[in-house]
Amino acid sequence: MQQLIAFFRRFRVFLVFIGLQILSISIYVQYLSFPNSQYLTSASVVGGKFYGVRYSIMKHFELENSNKKLQDENVLLRKQTLNNLYQINRYKFHVADTVYEQQYDFISCLITNSNTSKINNYFTLDAGELQGIERGMGVFSQKGVIGVVHNTSAHYSVVKSVLTKDINIDVLVLPIGLYGFLKWDGKDPRRGTITGITNDLSIKKGSKVVTRGGAGIFPKGLLVGYVEKLLPVEGKPLWEVVIRFSEDYRRLDRVYVIKNLFIQEQRLLENEIQKENTRQ
Amino acid sequence: MNVIVINTARFVLFVFLQIFIFNQIEFGFGIHLLMCPLYIMLLPFEINIITLMIIAFGMGAFVDVFSNTYGLHASSLLLMAYFRPSIFKLFAPRENYDVLKKPTFLDMGQLWFFSTFGTLLLIHNVWFFMLEAFSFSGFFYSIQKVILSFIFIYFLSLLLQILLVKRSKN
Repeated sequence: MQQLIAFFRRFRVFLVFIGLQILSISIYVQYLSFPNSQYLTSASVVGGKFYGVRYSIMKHFELENSNKKLQDENVLLRKQTLNNLYQINRYKFHVADTVYEQQYDFISCLITNSNTSKINNYFTLDAGELQGIERGMGVFSQKGVIGVVHNTSAHYSVVKSVLTKDINIDVLVLPIGLYGFLKWDGKDPRRGTITGITNDLSIKKGSKVVTRGGAGIFPKGLLVGYVEKLLPVEGKPLWEVVIRFSEDYRRLDRVYVIKNLFIQEQRLLENEIQKENTRQ
Repeated sequence: MNVIVINTARFVLFVFLQIFIFNQIEFGFGIHLLMCPLYIMLLPFEINIITLMIIAFGMGAFVDVFSNTYGLHASSLLLMAYFRPSIFKLFAPRENYDVLKKPTFLDMGQLWFFSTFGTLLLIHNVWFFMLEAFSFSGFFYSIQKVILSFIFIYFLSLLLQILLVKRSKN
């Protein structure tokens, strides 16, 4: 017993060091692998409040820019509604109403904190569970895709942005309709890559890249970016397609969260297939 | 008493600066301004190592809460605090440390400050950026981050010391 006490006395400093080090690294690793731990994130109430205050000061510097953006969007929307009013007559409108059911709902938010220079970049939004935001919902701005909701609290939520290593959003390259996964290499916040595209088809530079909408997180056809160049992958018949993002992630302000009203249904159906497969 | 007040005020100041100013500045090229190591460096010579480690861990945890880094700052500051006494011993002047002096470049000279703070900052940066990458795949980019950040942090530290710390008398 005495020897044990003497041992602890002797290695006291080292033991404290190792204890704290294990604590911090385990929190780090745990959060990297799954986001269940709600503590130590800026979605926690204190952090969120602070960033709310900071945002309320900083937003005035961006007013002119965001007003212009909103105005542009208003013009776009007005054009669309006018078109609709002129083209759809009453009879057709009724038919359309029963044929089309609303699938996506949008929640508008502000970004209160963001980073673009880290290896994994997360954004904090000023809306949370109270506004109906849940984990796994897609986020976009008027210029392009932003990311997927990673973690929520009552008033705030954290978005895992396109600028993270394992974001894997499924995207389509138009007009040929090839699809692959969007990746980011951790360096340049203006460019990303698409993997999984075979090199037997040629892709034009400047072709549009949009979301595929397969997982039900994003609707089909949201803009992601434009093809910039094609790089061969060594030893495989694949292209690494470098794209330039249409959104500048360093200057984000107003974004929309997408709520897919049919997501439960889609997941249920897909799970049934998996269950059947495992049974066989 | 005076020492405690000064260092508490400095703690608040450094956490504040780190979260609201240095974290928001993005130069690109992988330059991160991590100024918390300077705070750990500026704590008095005679501080107990366990207290030192707890302060470092606490400061790191504070910064982590506000920058979504989940224990990254805490871990690297803790490592730096753990090595501080041994590095100080390694570079001790011949007549040992003067209790009245402070571990700043104003009191101890440029050469001493470069060798101690340089070594500690290097340890901190290597740990921080390797842990951030969490793999050896982006190895050269991590090295670039370590070196470029080192240069920027070092010169900013000299500047901050001129602004914040008074040269001790004698």
